[in-house]
Amino acid sequence: MAAPLQAEAPTWTALAPALALVVTGLVLIVVDSIDPDDGSPALLAGVGTAGALASLGLAGWLLAGGTGQPDTGGAIALYGDALVVDGMTLFFQALFASVTALVVVASYDYLYDREYQAEFYSLVLFAATGMALMAAANSLSVAFVSLELASLPSYALVSYLKRDTGSVEAGLKYFLVGALSSAVFAFGISLVYAATGSLLLADVYETLAGGANGLTGVAGVGIVMVAGGFAFKTASVPFHFWAPEAYEGAPAPVSAFLSSASKAAGFALAFRVFVTGFPLGAGIDWVLLFQVLAVVTMTLGNFAAATQEEVKRMLAYSSIGHAGYALIGLAAFTTADGGNVLGASMAHLMVYGFMNTGAFLFVALAERWGIGRTFEDYAGLADRAPLACVAMTVFMFSLAGLPPFGGFFSKYFLFAGAVEAGFWWLAAVGAVNSALSLFYYSRVVKALWLEDATAEFELGPTPTALYAAVVFAAVATVLLLPGFGAVIETAQAAATAVLP
Amino acid sequence: MVPAQYYLVLSAAIFCIGVFGLLTRRNALLFLMSVELMLNAANVNLVAFSLYWGNVTGQTFSLFTMALAAAEVAVGIGIILVLYRNFKDVDVTEATTMRW
Repeated sequence: MAAPLQAEAPTWTALAPALALVVTGLVLIVVDSIDPDDGSPALLAGVGTAGALASLGLAGWLLAGGTGQPDTGGAIALYGDALVVDGMTLFFQALFASVTALVVVASYDYLYDREYQAEFYSLVLFAATGMALMAAANSLSVAFVSLELASLPSYALVSYLKRDTGSVEAGLKYFLVGALSSAVFAFGISLVYAATGSLLLADVYETLAGGANGLTGVAGVGIVMVAGGFAFKTASVPFHFWAPEAYEGAPAPVSAFLSSASKAAGFALAFRVFVTGFPLGAGIDWVLLFQVLAVVTMTLGNFAAATQEEVKRMLAYSSIGHAGYALIGLAAFTTADGGNVLGASMAHLMVYGFMNTGAFLFVALAERWGIGRTFEDYAGLADRAPLACVAMTVFMFSLAGLPPFGGFFSKYFLFAGAVEAGFWWLAAVGAVNSALSLFYYSRVVKALWLEDATAEFELGPTPTALYAAVVFAAVATVLLLPGFGAVIETAQAAATAVLP
Repeated sequence: MVPAQYYLVLSAAIFCIGVFGLLTRRNALLFLMSVELMLNAANVNLVAFSLYWGNVTGQTFSLFTMALAAAEVAVGIGIILVLYRNFKDVDVTEATTMRW
């Protein structure tokens, strides 16, 4: 059998999905400097979408060709082992590229008649590049640099509407908490370096497993602080309180981007760093730490979501709740279990990426039409925009985890994995929270379909691109039902390959 | 040579001063300075233990940290500028149109 095409290319081409994103970001800046008056928003959005789709295509092609997977020679390490490309890297890169494409398409309508569109799109693509590198990080230094590369453009994107007090306030709060947590993260890395003398995850693992030169206490504190950095990026307790503000104040496509892609990127990095860098029981029992964080995060997120009056803020808290579910991947991690729970958590993030992006883009659609933010304001929308409302209904039921949608299977595998690993109580807390979440998700559906509008209103012209993005996200959510077998198999194989 | 543990105490002290400033100051610019202190505490660790372990990984990474701190301040100052334009103040507790 001939070697696949991917095996003959030079090894640096394995980074093609990330390179496609950064090149597109640079091309957008060039286009803007040639035509600085924002005269062609369609061209800018088109270039951004093409770049994101190219990245998605490359990631899918490399994944299908077996790049960096055990049967073709194992993970590809680049630049002195600082970067690694394997199944997990490509899986997450495909997810980031899909969300980026949806967000860029939706932004075309959302940014109608606004200034600085080229900067907006290029910042989205640079943040996506940072996320793609987070999935490939194999050293704590790359982890820090790529985390900042994803964060810094995000701060600017959240405060993009600079004359809107809500957007500026959201950007400020996101920035303040982000700066604090990145300082904590950097200090944690310096302590791990102090105890081990290396920043490469493989070396750190070996030194820590061998007793950390008698500095286990220092390493333990460092590991907790590193976990703090991830808690910020994934919007988990205790660094979650920026999330409701940032998601509510930010332009809705940016909220979609942050709550799906940015959160998944935080998890990609956390999975890699904790599983391959910090051995279980050396310095600190980090599994216990994540068990506490997972339970508190999902309970807090779901209970707070149930008390909200605004749809966007409800979705923000629900995204905190989903971070809690995804944390089960680390909380129920055992070496004996293989990559089952970890893989289920990755698959959940993939499904979540589509359904949550879609839900926030529906809010973007509502904001574009100029209808209000509360549940009551959404009443009677189904008569005026039935297709978008069907899509929103799919997202809500899928987020709640009802059986005929993708979200059911991903949660089922996650909870089943936790039970198999012996953490039945984690699955029980998750199931109770899921049941609670059905309450507030169905409030949206009830408002859309069953309630009558309180006042007469007209929706105005249909924003085609935004509509298309919402419908496409819904189609993807539904297609992930028959396609879930392939997703979970890829994810679990990738997770198993990561284990040291 | 000064023992390496002393550097850990020094960096922990700087870090704590940074955290204290962050919790007590309401001015956004002083907030940025406190974060800067915390990042430099990490740098002290990295450089000290670079000497202790006899490799330059820590020193190199501390250069990365400095560059990123500068980039972070650049974005932060921009956000503080629009904060001032919208709220006529750089007090971080003024911006409360949404509830916490």
